[in-house]
Amino acid sequence: MPEIIVKPSNLKELWKMLPGLPARRRYLAGGTDLVTAGVAGVEHSECWIDIGDLPELGSIKEAAGSLFIGSGVKISEIESSKAAARWCPALVAAIPHFASPSLRNMATLGGNAANASPCADGACSLVAEGASVLLALKGKKRRLPLVDFFLGPKLTALKKDELILGFEIRKRRHAGAYLKLGPRAYFGISKAAVAVTAELSGGAVKRVRVALGSVAPVPLYAARTSAFLADKKLSAETIAEASALVRTEASPITDTRSEAAYRLDMCGVLLERALKSLA
Amino acid sequence: MKQSTSPFVLKCRVNGVSMERELPSSRSLLEFIREDLGLKGTKEGCGEGECGACLVLLDGRAVNSCLMMAVQVHGKELVTIEGIKGRDGGLHPLQKTFMAEGAVQCGFCTPGLIVASEALLRRRPKATLEEIKLGLTGNLCRCTGYEKVLSAVGKARKIKK
Repeated sequence: MPEIIVKPSNLKELWKMLPGLPARRRYLAGGTDLVTAGVAGVEHSECWIDIGDLPELGSIKEAAGSLFIGSGVKISEIESSKAAARWCPALVAAIPHFASPSLRNMATLGGNAANASPCADGACSLVAEGASVLLALKGKKRRLPLVDFFLGPKLTALKKDELILGFEIRKRRHAGAYLKLGPRAYFGISKAAVAVTAELSGGAVKRVRVALGSVAPVPLYAARTSAFLADKKLSAETIAEASALVRTEASPITDTRSEAAYRLDMCGVLLERALKSLA
Repeated sequence: MKQSTSPFVLKCRVNGVSMERELPSSRSLLEFIREDLGLKGTKEGCGEGECGACLVLLDGRAVNSCLMMAVQVHGKELVTIEGIKGRDGGLHPLQKTFMAEGAVQCGFCTPGLIVASEALLRRRPKATLEEIKLGLTGNLCRCTGYEKVLSAVGKARKIKK
């Protein structure tokens, strides 16, 4: 565990205190991943910076063309947000599958992304939502498509001391689904997960985004499957073709949670079910 | 920097009482509750957020105190199992129905189950059986199973505090 935890009261104070802090430092948001790692002895920072209550990170804001979800927003707060239900249905559909009710009261959406686990339910569904991530380091801000933020298991594009401010989701009418296969119905880590967003028009879909969890080194945007589904009627044949195609995009491994071949098959099955739920 | 050189002055409310304590900033919330405050009703089961024996209410919502640091409750309202009471100061309806239904065996998971149930019923006083099950997905009991617990929470819905 760290030797010291500091708690700035706003962003300005955070940037000001950074130079005076020990070199090995990390941000602490909800703590559900970081504290677990600390207790397990695999997290060796000297200093944690508690950003969990920074006012700049804590709200969901609706602007003219987009929805902003602050990185410090708790998963359970997204569950009860009407704006989130409207503008990011795949993210909201993922929430009942996200850990347990009490962990959802602690975990933040920013932490879920920063932890960069390929099985992160929030991160996978945000990729399907086509979210961008807003980052800040002192006065410098930058925006990245979320797909460019994840570089590998536990690896992100974050620079030292850079902070996730939040996520931006473009407003567009769309349907969303999130299906997860875990060891049990709830409170499990996924063997495979599929998130889908689709702009529907009559019996057809216009634009589709398919994202996969736990079957690649990162929460994966299935670009070819998404392109294939664009401007198509969700007929049984189309769904079957998409389900075969998505298997070629995943690159799962065999580990303690599941086997590669099974995960690959389940990507297809979950996508088929997700598309049928939207059709 | 040593722990002793980095104290943190923690201000919060615990079971309705405002307090201010100086602690090492790396104190865990569970240690703060059990060791510093001497409130032993909150248990450590798995220490990894999976069993729910350590649940407490933070600003009215259930959280796993084993995975939080004490500094994270600064400025907030904490309620432990010791602070969950009936309106007359006696047993809370959930405590009565857990006893009446025999929803306790070794009792280690019980404080966490009561805290999770209280958090759920505050938000959804008429929770359905399915909602109760979902509300308790983060709580493990390794003795009795869950039927009596579900029945106890179900009965507590109808009793006013």
